[in-house]
Amino acid sequence: MEKMACVSTVSSRTMFCHLDAPANAISVCRDATQVVVAGRNIFKIYAMEEDGFVERLNLRVGRKPSLNFSCADVMWHQMEENLLATAATNGAVVTWNLARPCRNKQEHLFTEHKRTVNKVCFHPTEVHMLLSGSQDGFMKCFDLRKKESVSTFSGQSESVRDVQFSMKDYFTFAASFENGNVQLWDIRRPDRYERMFTAHTGPVFCCDWHPEDRGWLATGGRDKMVKVWDMTTNRAKEIYCVQTIASVARVKWRPERRWHLATCSMMVDHNIYVWDVRRPFIPFATFEEHKDVTTGIVWSHQHDPYVLLSGSKDSTLYQHIFKDASRPVDRANPEGLCFGLFGDLAFAAKESLMTGEAGRKPYPAGDRRYPIFFFKKPDVTEQFAQVASALSVFESEADGSSRMDWFIKTARRYLLSGKPFAELCDHNAKVAKELNRPQVSTTWTMLRIMFSDPGNPALPANHNMSKLGNIPLMNSFNLKEMSSALNERNKENRQDNLHNLETNLNNDENEETEGSDGQAEYLFGDAELDDDDLYSMEHENQAEEAEFSLPQEAFPLRHEIVDHPSAPEPPAEKPESPQVSGSEAESFCLTPMESISLISVSQLLYQPQLPPSFFCPVVREMLDYYAEQGDVQMAVSVLIVLGDRIRKEIDELTQEHWYMSYIDLLQRFELWNVSNEVIKLSTCSAITCLNQASTTLHINCSNCKRPMSNKGWICDRCHQCASVCAVCHHVVKGLFVWCQGCSHGGHLEHVMEWLKSSNHCPAGCGHLCEYT
Amino acid sequence: MFVARSIAADHKDLIHDVSYDFHGRRMATCSSDQSVKVWDKSDNGEWHCTASWKTHSGSVWRVTWAHPEFGQVLASCSFDRTAAVWEEIVGESNDKQRGLSHWIKRTTLVDSRTSVTDVKFAPKHMGLVLATCSADGVVRIYEAPDVMNLSQWSLQHEISCKLSCSCISWNPSSSRAHPPMIAVGSDDNNVTYSGKVQIYEYNENTRKYAKAETLMTVTDPVHDIAFAPNLGRSFHVLAIATKDVRIFKLIPLRRENATSSGPTKFEVQVMAQFDSHNSQVWRVSWNITSTLLASSGDDGCVRLWKANYMDNWKCTGILRGDGSPVNGSSGQGTALSAVGSAGAQSQNSVVGAASAGRYFFPHLDPPRAGSRLALLLPPPSLIEPTCETDHTHAHQPPQIRRRYTPALPTQPAEHD
Repeated sequence: MEKMACVSTVSSRTMFCHLDAPANAISVCRDATQVVVAGRNIFKIYAMEEDGFVERLNLRVGRKPSLNFSCADVMWHQMEENLLATAATNGAVVTWNLARPCRNKQEHLFTEHKRTVNKVCFHPTEVHMLLSGSQDGFMKCFDLRKKESVSTFSGQSESVRDVQFSMKDYFTFAASFENGNVQLWDIRRPDRYERMFTAHTGPVFCCDWHPEDRGWLATGGRDKMVKVWDMTTNRAKEIYCVQTIASVARVKWRPERRWHLATCSMMVDHNIYVWDVRRPFIPFATFEEHKDVTTGIVWSHQHDPYVLLSGSKDSTLYQHIFKDASRPVDRANPEGLCFGLFGDLAFAAKESLMTGEAGRKPYPAGDRRYPIFFFKKPDVTEQFAQVASALSVFESEADGSSRMDWFIKTARRYLLSGKPFAELCDHNAKVAKELNRPQVSTTWTMLRIMFSDPGNPALPANHNMSKLGNIPLMNSFNLKEMSSALNERNKENRQDNLHNLETNLNNDENEETEGSDGQAEYLFGDAELDDDDLYSMEHENQAEEAEFSLPQEAFPLRHEIVDHPSAPEPPAEKPESPQVSGSEAESFCLTPMESISLISVSQLLYQPQLPPSFFCPVVREMLDYYAEQGDVQMAVSVLIVLGDRIRKEIDELTQEHWYMSYIDLLQRFELWNVSNEVIKLSTCSAITCLNQASTTLHINCSNCKRPMSNKGWICDRCHQCASVCAVCHHVVKGLFVWCQGCSHGGHLEHVMEWLKSSNHCPAGCGHLCEYT
Repeated sequence: MFVARSIAADHKDLIHDVSYDFHGRRMATCSSDQSVKVWDKSDNGEWHCTASWKTHSGSVWRVTWAHPEFGQVLASCSFDRTAAVWEEIVGESNDKQRGLSHWIKRTTLVDSRTSVTDVKFAPKHMGLVLATCSADGVVRIYEAPDVMNLSQWSLQHEISCKLSCSCISWNPSSSRAHPPMIAVGSDDNNVTYSGKVQIYEYNENTRKYAKAETLMTVTDPVHDIAFAPNLGRSFHVLAIATKDVRIFKLIPLRRENATSSGPTKFEVQVMAQFDSHNSQVWRVSWNITSTLLASSGDDGCVRLWKANYMDNWKCTGILRGDGSPVNGSSGQGTALSAVGSAGAQSQNSVVGAASAGRYFFPHLDPPRAGSRLALLLPPPSLIEPTCETDHTHAHQPPQIRRRYTPALPTQPAEHD
């Protein structure tokens, strides 16, 4: 024990050397200076020096290869540093004395086992006692001073995979078996085991006694589990269970770390894992150097927790240093975050991150439930207490801007067809307005203005119009709109023209400054708002709402503009449009032609009347804009309402993309009816065919109860019309609902009415109908 | 504003992922305790765990829902080197009565030799397609040829990314103009390998995925990556969680000739970059309209980001796990309610205007979309940064003049 001071500082770096052959097992001498590597074709001793492994001795000597050298296991005696034992695949147990003067160091040869010896184990305190466990199901205890075994223990079950002397109890050893059992034996009583329990399903490949908590036994099996048993109680009690990802070939407790153990796997997995048994799900550390199955692991020194040696089938011997280990938990994501459909946000995070005021401090206080008492100084990298996550859902409040109510309501209430264009626009503008989306509302109104036939200004005087109050705004928009449109059209004399225009416009503006104070203020008020309203975009904004209701102040501007036009045509009223008040009549001034003519006065470039197609590029850009801003609803709705007016402007692929996106959204919100309407109204062939796929109705004739052929509603057997309402006996046109049990049905409302009073079929067939 | 509703998740280790289903009424969580739990929202808004089962023999990193058209299907991936597909079975009335549903494993995908770090179903229009990525840098794309048979998956593509992969994201665009595209993020620690985000695109001619783009500016480990829902946009928006939050815009460039078989070229723009988490950012998630981005970092906070009409992104809210306000950020916190308080308004407007000026000129460029549109819509603050009264932009008459300055042809020209 005099050497127990930490030795790892001397040779603390990860290093490896190539072996000539795959290793089956390794073992270190007590002072951690040399390691023995044993395998089918290798039996060598290496010294661990600062700059690498140095081969010290090759124990495979002699001309003819003996199977006695073919080792399944090797163990270096922990007290007698010249003494080694190997388990041979031919059933021999061999001891080696390094102090022998000749080249052949073999000392004893016990050939008592019939089959491969899987394990040899020296007694930790008794120099001459050696234990072996074999495939033949027997364990033998040898006294190295005698020529043959002292006692034989019969497991009475299958092959022995591991034998380990207890650290605590001089006479006790544990043996693990291929049938999943673990037995405890008293070395003095070879007739019967002291205790047996089933530890695993399938073979138990390994076991290891805890070096400090001496009643603890760790076992590893093919069932990919490592279990820790408390053997001090009457019945072996499973106190920890670690689930690994492959069958466990070796398990070794980590020195000086009460809760840690290292495992390696028998197949598939080449890594070495160090687990904290209190957190059994994720390895504390991983050594990933080996390219093939790791066959032997051993901690270099019984008081050094930082250095691990391993041998592998890939013919390498590694010294792993803990600081080079990879820590899976560091790469593991401590948080989960997901946006829900309705704008709610699910968030799961490590509790310490959530509760710690300064969450950036790693592991603020550790976990007090499990004091890690043997840490001399708090070492963050060694802390691995159990952690848990807190899960919470942030639900956006009913009026929250991120909530998606506006989308659903808009989708439900928009009118996309079935009325004259202008009415659709007005309706939709109103819907948007009511949902506090002034920008969208304005857009609808403008669309109506742009695309209503100028020769026949179909401005059905709308009672809402005067209340909207954003008309002057649009008018000035149109001015700017024009200016930028001009900008494009007159590339060649752009400078001059635009300069002209600019001055003209500025003149206009200056002229009307007096009268348009309100409007100007309005505009900038809005601009201001928009600035901090960046984040509510098209959403409800009370303040903005207030700004928007400035119509009375803004009206003078219209008069100002109206003063300018050269020749506003007196609009022919539509007979059906109920124009009532003067203020509504004024809204004629807001048709595009006015503002255009305003420009044409200064520019003399355009006809006083512009075809609606003039606006198409603008509208196309606007739709693009909406789509980019995530409001594909607007893009599609406008696309449908405008129909042929705009369709040719936008290429098919984009249209299809918009439709697909919108339909997908609608289906997410389970707005099936709206989605269907959109599909029906779309003009893309790829979209309309969505409605015509994969729906099959199988119908029984309500009269003769036989399946109907799929031609029409007349049953070809009884020549009766099958779609007769069982309540009113008329043929159903439109929604037909029927019971799948008796094939009778009728008008939806009739059947609903009927079912209020009776559960039986209205046709009188006696069936207890079920409508789902 | 948000209301925090805490849920007793009862996972025995860290929760690594949370995922909503298509309709937002179910939620799945996965944890290092090797289990997945499914939560259903009841009518009163409470979340109830309706299923909890052991899915893997290692930490479960991610869980994701398939489109409901394919049934109630989940996919999970794990440290145990596998990914699995699960389907909910209805009809076991016994379980139903106890409020539990039954999930059975339809397949295990065992091709990876290292930890499978992410799993994602492809957008629905591609069929039933699943992508996984693993720590050894391989992205695998599986397809179930028969959508009714979830136990048959064939490995269609193996993309070697060279770098250890941590996250993937499918481009959700359903446009035929956008070929299938997948972005892969790497959590490789070595900063000398730049380009921790790679974008692969399916090539119709070669029938293979080919690298279309590497975001060379991303040099730190990437923990999460998310394409924004593409609602009819011509370009793609990608959010990345690395040591900060980044938002990239990928604009497909028109090909010179339609027959060229190479991958699409992209113009890559950084739209935003925020380091206000002051720590590793672990997760990013978009809302359904892609107007809000949420990010979470080692500071234990969720931050919400939103763009204004000029693509200027700003923080609109900070959420702590317990719903308490974050110290020192009350102004931003209340800004979450759009225009909650006047104080927040004015504060934000100052910031907004200042940065708006920075981004302003490109948007004046006449041929570009959006510039004139901004005028069509309620007026943006047309503030020139060159204006001497820039800082007193509030309700001042000088802006009357400025309203028309955008039409000045010289300005856009020099900033084209």
